[in-house]
Amino acid sequence: MSEQKARSTFDPSGVGTNKRSKELGKIYVWELPVRIFHWLNVVAIVVLMITGIYIANPFVSASIPEDAYYSFLMGWVRYIHFFAAFLFTANLLFRLYWVYKGNTFAKSNPFRISFWKETWETIKHYLFLPNKKKHYIGHNTLAQLSYWIFIGLGSIIMMFTGFYLFFEPQLASFFGGFFSKLGLIFGGNSFSIRSWHHLVAWGYMVFMVVHIYMAFREDWLSRNGTMSSIVTGYKTEKEEDIEEKGKQAEGDKSA
Amino acid sequence: MLKTKQATVYEEALARGFSRRDFLKMCTTLAATMGLSFKDTDKVVHAMESNSRIPVIWLELQSCSGCSESFIRSTHPKAESVLLEMISLEYSEVLSAAAGHQLEEAMANVLQQYSGEYVLVVEGSVSDDEFITIGGRSAKSILEEAVKGAKMVISYGSCASWGGIPAANPNPTNGVPITKFIKDKPVILVPGCPPIAEVMTGVIAHIITFGEIPELDHLGRPKAFYRHRIHDKCNRRAYFDAGLFAESFDDVGAKQGYCLYKLGCVGPTTFSSCAEMRWNGGTSYPIQSGNPCIGCTEKGFWDNGPFYTRRAKIPGTQTTINPEKVGLAVTGATLAGVAVHAGVTAVVKKKNESSEERGES
Repeated sequence: MSEQKARSTFDPSGVGTNKRSKELGKIYVWELPVRIFHWLNVVAIVVLMITGIYIANPFVSASIPEDAYYSFLMGWVRYIHFFAAFLFTANLLFRLYWVYKGNTFAKSNPFRISFWKETWETIKHYLFLPNKKKHYIGHNTLAQLSYWIFIGLGSIIMMFTGFYLFFEPQLASFFGGFFSKLGLIFGGNSFSIRSWHHLVAWGYMVFMVVHIYMAFREDWLSRNGTMSSIVTGYKTEKEEDIEEKGKQAEGDKSA
Repeated sequence: MLKTKQATVYEEALARGFSRRDFLKMCTTLAATMGLSFKDTDKVVHAMESNSRIPVIWLELQSCSGCSESFIRSTHPKAESVLLEMISLEYSEVLSAAAGHQLEEAMANVLQQYSGEYVLVVEGSVSDDEFITIGGRSAKSILEEAVKGAKMVISYGSCASWGGIPAANPNPTNGVPITKFIKDKPVILVPGCPPIAEVMTGVIAHIITFGEIPELDHLGRPKAFYRHRIHDKCNRRAYFDAGLFAESFDDVGAKQGYCLYKLGCVGPTTFSSCAEMRWNGGTSYPIQSGNPCIGCTEKGFWDNGPFYTRRAKIPGTQTTINPEKVGLAVTGATLAGVAVHAGVTAVVKKKNESSEERGES
């Protein structure tokens, strides 16, 4: 009873129980493509953010205050921004494919009622309220939802508005025409589309802060190697959870 | 007053003392203004020799007459050659010699006699009925009557095209662009506050030459004049790419002709021919003379934040913010929230652990 109570309030993996040492096992959670995606995405977002802020508000000037001939500072910053943007896009398209192809931890399906019920329980859990959140070896549903919103929807907005801005000098071209029509969703004119691009960019920063905090917090509370798992792929979990997940995965395959 | 058989543009020109050579020169200039290839000059010549002047009705609604003022400063083609030889301006409040009932009668005549042939030019946005009446009738009813028989509609200026300054927040007169009342006629949007004179005459020249509307972009503006951003054609662009910016209006950078980006130039979000055709016969344009672009051809330019600062607009509102400052503040707030959450987590963890210890011992 006391163990159950502790679990339901705060200690999802039963850190405090002395039984845990004999039941622990390793489980392969993040496959190599997922880890590569994650770190490429980190690099792309950091580079895009720094170069993006420079483009929006050039905080340093070229070192040679002479004719334009001698420097190409903004030019290079823009090149790097565009290069990182293409990397980001390709990377994200791959991850979308991996939602379909990857293992059970790479998947997410928000079109289930249980997804939203579990999300509600998870929200209560993070607000330190009584809840029925279960322990997740992969992502909990609230985390999954945050990826759909920030990495999914946010990226789509950034990509569409970004490519509009990229092709803006050649609106008569095929891609220019395509993205200018798509830009009508974001208000149609250049200023509105640019505003979307600026504002959603800061959404990533908010996401990044929360995401990194949550990862450290999980590592700290569950002692399951969350932080190292994004490098090695393995988490240390209780055998009973691993077995349960294994059964689920079997069920996934047969279904 | 109205001739039954209209003379062609060429005949009108000869009658006014043009030589054949002058006429051909005018046609060549026109072709260049319209963005046609030199080879297509003969099309312009042919059109001017065979087409008669086009009757034009120029309505002025919620406007400052700035568009008319810009129009009469056209240098190639010269405004007088457009007005006297290419079009037959039947109604214009600024330029007509006649006034009052005489003028209103002239318009009624044209609407009847040239139904389906005349070009309707509109300057200014449409307000609620009580705010603008001409000859005792509301702007909306005048516009709707004039549109009925029009061959096509040219919307001169940002007010007619987007609503413009009369429609700026809080929009006291409920100003709306004319496109709201025109559903079944082609409309050419020629935004700008005012548009460049040569762009205005160029659009008319295109209509006379080809008898149809020019190719329009996804927002309804003629591609020939609105396909390029000012930023991409700017004479200061090299300084932007180099990373050399004027920091204030009176610093060394401004003197050197550095990029005005940090002074809030909105050239990067503005589509117009200013940087290519320039103003006053190709003399200069705002950025060249040291003033950041205010983006007057763009929709809602008056509400896109104060001039001379870089802003971003919160979608669906009129509110503009500095995205870097607000973004940093929001990220800072998130960090603070995370710190509080971590603190609470630590306290709860400690409590759980100590209660378990007590339970065990």
